[in-house]
Amino acid sequence: MRRKLFLLLVGVVALLATAGVAAAANGGFTPVTPHSPNAARTNDAYYVILAFTGAIFLIVEGALVTFIWRYRGRGRSRTVDAVQVHGNTRLELIWTVIPVIILCAIGLVVFYELPGISSAPAAANPIRVTVEGHQFYWQFDYPNGARSINDLYAPVGQVVDLEVKSADVIHSWWIPELGGKIQAIPGRTNHIWFRANAQGTYTGQCAELCGLYHADMTARVIVGTGAEYHTFVTSTAPAVLGKAEFQGVCATCHGMQGQGGYGPNLSSNPLLIQPAGLDTIVRNGRGLMPAVGNTWTAAQMKALVQYVKTDVYKGAATSGG
Amino acid sequence: MAARSEAVYPVSWKSGRIASWLVTVDHKRIGIMYIVTSLFFFVLGGILAVLMRAQLATPNETLLTKNSYNEVLTMHGTTMIFLVVVPILAGFGNYLVPLMIGARDVAFPRLNALSYWLYLLGGIVLWGSWFATGGTAKAGWWSYPTLSELQFSPGHGQDYWILSIHILTLASLAGAINFIVTIVNMRTRGMTWMRMPLFIWSMLAYAVMLVVALPALSAAVTMLLLDRQAGAHFFIPSRGGSVILYQHMFWFFGHPEVYIMVLPVFGMVSEILPVFSRKPIFGYKAVAFSTVGIAFFSMLVWAHHMFTSGLGTGLDSFFMISSMVIAVPTGIKIFNWVATTWRGNIIFDTPMLFTIGFIALFTMGGLSGIFLAAFPVDWQLNDSYYVVAHFHYVLFGGSAFGFFGGLYYWWPKMFGRILDERLGKWFFWLLFVGFNLTFLPQHMLGLLGMPRRVYTYHHGGLWEAYNMISTIGSGVMVVAVGVFLASVWITHGLRRGVRAGNDPWLADTLEWYTTSPPPEHNFDTVPYVTSARPLRDLRRRLAEQA
Repeated sequence: MRRKLFLLLVGVVALLATAGVAAAANGGFTPVTPHSPNAARTNDAYYVILAFTGAIFLIVEGALVTFIWRYRGRGRSRTVDAVQVHGNTRLELIWTVIPVIILCAIGLVVFYELPGISSAPAAANPIRVTVEGHQFYWQFDYPNGARSINDLYAPVGQVVDLEVKSADVIHSWWIPELGGKIQAIPGRTNHIWFRANAQGTYTGQCAELCGLYHADMTARVIVGTGAEYHTFVTSTAPAVLGKAEFQGVCATCHGMQGQGGYGPNLSSNPLLIQPAGLDTIVRNGRGLMPAVGNTWTAAQMKALVQYVKTDVYKGAATSGG
Repeated sequence: MAARSEAVYPVSWKSGRIASWLVTVDHKRIGIMYIVTSLFFFVLGGILAVLMRAQLATPNETLLTKNSYNEVLTMHGTTMIFLVVVPILAGFGNYLVPLMIGARDVAFPRLNALSYWLYLLGGIVLWGSWFATGGTAKAGWWSYPTLSELQFSPGHGQDYWILSIHILTLASLAGAINFIVTIVNMRTRGMTWMRMPLFIWSMLAYAVMLVVALPALSAAVTMLLLDRQAGAHFFIPSRGGSVILYQHMFWFFGHPEVYIMVLPVFGMVSEILPVFSRKPIFGYKAVAFSTVGIAFFSMLVWAHHMFTSGLGTGLDSFFMISSMVIAVPTGIKIFNWVATTWRGNIIFDTPMLFTIGFIALFTMGGLSGIFLAAFPVDWQLNDSYYVVAHFHYVLFGGSAFGFFGGLYYWWPKMFGRILDERLGKWFFWLLFVGFNLTFLPQHMLGLLGMPRRVYTYHHGGLWEAYNMISTIGSGVMVVAVGVFLASVWITHGLRRGVRAGNDPWLADTLEWYTTSPPPEHNFDTVPYVTSARPLRDLRRRLAEQA
């Protein structure tokens, strides 16, 4: 009996040690290290729930394993009746009421953490950026009219309020280190915010199945100093935008050099040097190609036309080539 | 010499070996057809799962194209839910409900047969859609518009999906009405509500939930069909429709569906656990009423699938609280089951192993659900692999382990032989280990930021390690299912299985009173029922007389 107890103790200690090491290394036992107050508070709520559910898990599984070990038949015949206990009202009341109390506690913690997660700090003078999900890229509109594709630029330490929309199907915005996710739904505007506490690049990807290239619909949030952010939004040269558009939107199917992939080879397609024709197909799509540019501005289209003309178009295909 | 002529009775074609199954209205044969068909689709859906795991084993894998990956994930989900778990439970219900309540058949045997054949037709339509123009549906098992609208899902796969759902909902509705009428009206003498087997309670709840929830699904997919084929725009926002409307309608069906898929298994566990502990169930009334409570509250929790849709704090809070409320009756069941093993004489035959496995794994799935009910935490976890892990613990660790337990338990009643015990234990342990290897690491993947339904990923390191473990686990489960099929072959093909008497497990309920397998009319006589354990009463009376 004592030996069993000792073995059990060793087992539990080993288990806790393993779990502790893994948790310290954040090997996926907790959400990723937060870099925004809402993500941090989400993690706080997560830990509280983990504490309660972890305890319940140990109690239930522990009781189950103990009972089936302790009361195993040991070769007794099926005909041997065990103790005919039909229930115990007091016990059953206890295990009804205790979960109610635990759930109330979890609920209270959630409501305590909620304001810090769902709403941005007041009087923070947020930067409002519109996030528009498209098949299969993210488009960002900054307050001064600048636009970027797939890379969202943000200043460190400042609240960024995201208005999340969709131009086609449902997408879901998710940068794990900067808070939870929110669906980008056609016909609706949803909100989410973050305040990055450190410079760096935070990655994420669309979390709602949105079609063929769902897995490749990635996003990066590039957090720099206020000055870096300012430089970015005030100096978006058409060439930079055009390149981002081609690489973030067109290249998904047509390849980085327009060499073709899921979609056809573009590099010798004469449409690339016909601004009107290119405009029509990018805005409306054709066949399997989605209407990727259905919300694009004239300036944006011009930037693309410029870029593909100089950097993608390789001249008409030579006959027999 | 006058020839002696015997009267020749014409043998109807209906009594042929195959024809008799095609024309049968016997609930037992229909039940077996349901179970066999479901297991067939289980293998098909499992092959799809293994394909997905193979594709995800390493980053940037190209075994499947993105297009076929989306087809495979949609077909896997739809198959497992609509063609495996719901119908296999209907199969158990069909086989067991009349036997357990001492009836001759279900109330409407022909409707019952119709229900099975519609189910088969729905399955054929869904799987036939591999040959449709543009392949199968690719918008996931919940087929959210606008992705499932014509503009984004051209081709006929989505239409076949809708047609198949229509047929399957009709099949389930017919079956559900049959169960309700049978259970309410056809219980044998003495079987009051409080003497009804707990499996019957859960089948009643299952049937009522189907009747309430299915019309919402039928309506939603009908509206989707009208959008796609008749120029309507219920779910097209650019023309005044609402995408959120579909989400509400779908999940108004979708969440009760989760309990539809697990309540009958709760019932099976509540039957098997006492028999192999040689005890009565701990707290019969609490277990029965918690079934009713779960069925009721399951209608009030649907929008917890929509926490990331931006419903607002008011609705989010309501659905968090209702989802936590439903954890209470579920907890009651788990505690009562654990208490049932207390001071038992526990016999570890295969049905019991699966039942214990069910409790262990379902507890895990229930607890990970608490994280998802807390909506701010759900914002982080929703639509990630954490959710995939969570619902597989509920639906595979829960429902599938439960119905495999049920299969091993009632197999001798259905086919007259006990399934090979040695292989049964191998099957259990391989499945248990393989299951945990597959799905435990998926919690971590979700927390690391891997969304569900991605055909590939571009991270190495931990992402790759956990995905690889998960894929290895799925391979172990393939071996396990192979062992199961082998055990069926050894038991029946080679006739090595031990012949079962009427009551091989010394069980408590009426189905064990008749022969194994039972005659077409089920019972010659049915004993008067004086408790929830009529067979134990009978054994004791016989012992006293002896």
